[in-house]
Order: sequence, then C-alpha cells, then structure tokens
Amino acid sequence: MSDAAAAHEAPTSTGIEHKKLIMWLFLASDCMFFGTLISTHLLYRKLFPAGFTDAAGHQRFIQDLFSIELTSFSTFILLMSSFLMALAVSAMHKGQLKSFRRNVLGVIFFGLIFLGCQVYEFTHFYHMGLTIQNSVLGSTFYVLTGTHGTHVAIGVLWLILMYFYSFTGKLGGHVGALDVEVAGLYWHFVDIVWIIIFTAVYLVEYLGPYGIWGSGLPTVSQ
Amino acid sequence: MSSDVAPSPESLAEETRRYHHFIVLALWLAVVTGAEIVLIYLPIPTAAILTVLTLMSAGKFFAVILWFMHLIYDKRLLFWCFFAGLALAFATYAALLMLFSVDRIDTRWFT
Repeated sequence: MSDAAAAHEAPTSTGIEHKKLIMWLFLASDCMFFGTLISTHLLYRKLFPAGFTDAAGHQRFIQDLFSIELTSFSTFILLMSSFLMALAVSAMHKGQLKSFRRNVLGVIFFGLIFLGCQVYEFTHFYHMGLTIQNSVLGSTFYVLTGTHGTHVAIGVLWLILMYFYSFTGKLGGHVGALDVEVAGLYWHFVDIVWIIIFTAVYLVEYLGPYGIWGSGLPTVSQ
Repeated sequence: MSSDVAPSPESLAEETRRYHHFIVLALWLAVVTGAEIVLIYLPIPTAAILTVLTLMSAGKFFAVILWFMHLIYDKRLLFWCFFAGLALAFATYAALLMLFSVDRIDTRWFT
C-alpha cells in the first residue's frame, strides 16, 4: 500500500471502507457464479463436441457461426471502456467532475456498443439455427454470454444513473469518489470476466479444424 | 456531503502517477489481445497455442485487477477476499473436470 493510500485509511476495524469491502466480497461471489457457468460450458463442449443440429436437420459446427472480427471488436471496446472507467475514478479522486462526466459518458457509449454487438450476435446465431433449446451448446453458450451481457447492461444503467446524479451536486468529495470507485470495480469485473470468456469460449474454437473440442475426442450425436 | 475534503497535493501526485500507469496498461492490453488473435492462426502445435493463450489471458486478468481495480494500491485483505472466490471458482472447474474426465461417458443419459 502506498503512503498516499495509507494517509486515507478508513476509520473502520479493517481500515477499508465498508462499501468497498462489500463490493469486493460480492465480486468474489460473482466470480464463483461465473466460474460454474464457464466450467459448465467447457465441460459440455468436451462431452458434445459436435455442435448442434439446425431446423433443417443439418449438423452444424460452432465455427460456422462465430465471427472472430466481431468478437475481437467487442473485446477491444470492453477493454477500452475499462480504461476510461479507470480514468473516471482517477478524475473523481482528483475532484475533477467534468473529466469524470466525459469519461463516464465514454464508458456508457462503449458499453452500449458492446451490448449492440451481443444483440446482433445472438440474433445472427438464432437465425442460423442455434437456439437455447435445440442443443446443449446453445443452452450453455446463451446462458453464459447472456448472463455476462446482463451484467454489462446493469453496469451501463448504474453509470447512466451516476452520470445524472453528478448534476445534483451530491456526488463529490471523498464519499462521491468512493461511490464511483465501487461502480468502477463492478465495471472492471465485467471486463475481466469477458477476458476469460473471450479465450475459453471463442478463441479455443479456432484451434484445429473443428476447434479444440473436436480433435481427439469422441463425437457424440445428440 | 458534496465536497467534504479537498484532495491533498500528495494524493493528487499519486493519482497523476496512476494515470500514466493506466495509459500504459491500456496499450499493453490492446497489444496482448491483438497477439491472441494472431496466435490462433499460427501453424504451431495446439497445446503450445493453448498454453500461451492461457498465460496471456491470466496476465490480462491480473493486470486489470491489480492496476485498474487498484488492488496493488489497496490493502492486502481485499486481494485475499477476491482470491478466495477465484480459487473456489477454479476448484469447481477442476472438480468438474475430474468428475467428467472419462472420455467414454455414455452421454445418452444427458439427452
């Protein structure tokens, strides 16, 4: 811990502000939640490497659906939104409300772009025949990425409320900076979950002719 | 509660230093993500790619939680709180992987 941070030690038994501690505990529990969702997806990909059957009865592979360009774009957008969020928190600690508003607007904008990409992806996959009901792949994929998308949507809503709240004059000083920092922790968490999803769900599907799950494992018809 | 304490010059200097760290980290994250995308198309063994992808992903993960989420500047207790959740999540995956590690599982039971 730096000297500056030590100088601002909270007057609590742990020396950490309660809001921040509770947010970290929530994030730890959310980590377990996403851990089970990601584990479920990976294990079912291992057990059912064959993909899914579309409405016309054709066997399809997930590699036919994924667009690495779109997913990479979404990933860059989310990473940069995390950077802007860090700048917004920094601005609040320096008492620069205008800079905070600019950066938060950027985060909201990037968050909405990410959500737009996800809506486009889901719609595209649905029209290509992958639904939440017709395969194990569809169930685990939509539940995992949909839960993440819901987290992003909640984060965007939270930041929109915080943006408008900053005009009331009540979001300032140490308390205001702490509130923004807690919202920032949530946003960064959404980003780190996507870092894992991007590799574990998307990138591994490009390894080998049928993805990492399609090689050396028994193909099971569903 | 709007403006109880003005930031001290010391904390302002600290924030300015962090600001530069954030810019370097954002550039580093963008470069690593670009490298990940290039990596999956390289003609090298899948196991090697998977290992490097895992390391890159873990590097990005810890970079964000340490710098963007301020864990490197905050109290150690916060790191251990979060690490407990992370360890349990990883243990869940390891346990499930061991349970389903037999490739000859009759998956007809699932359908």
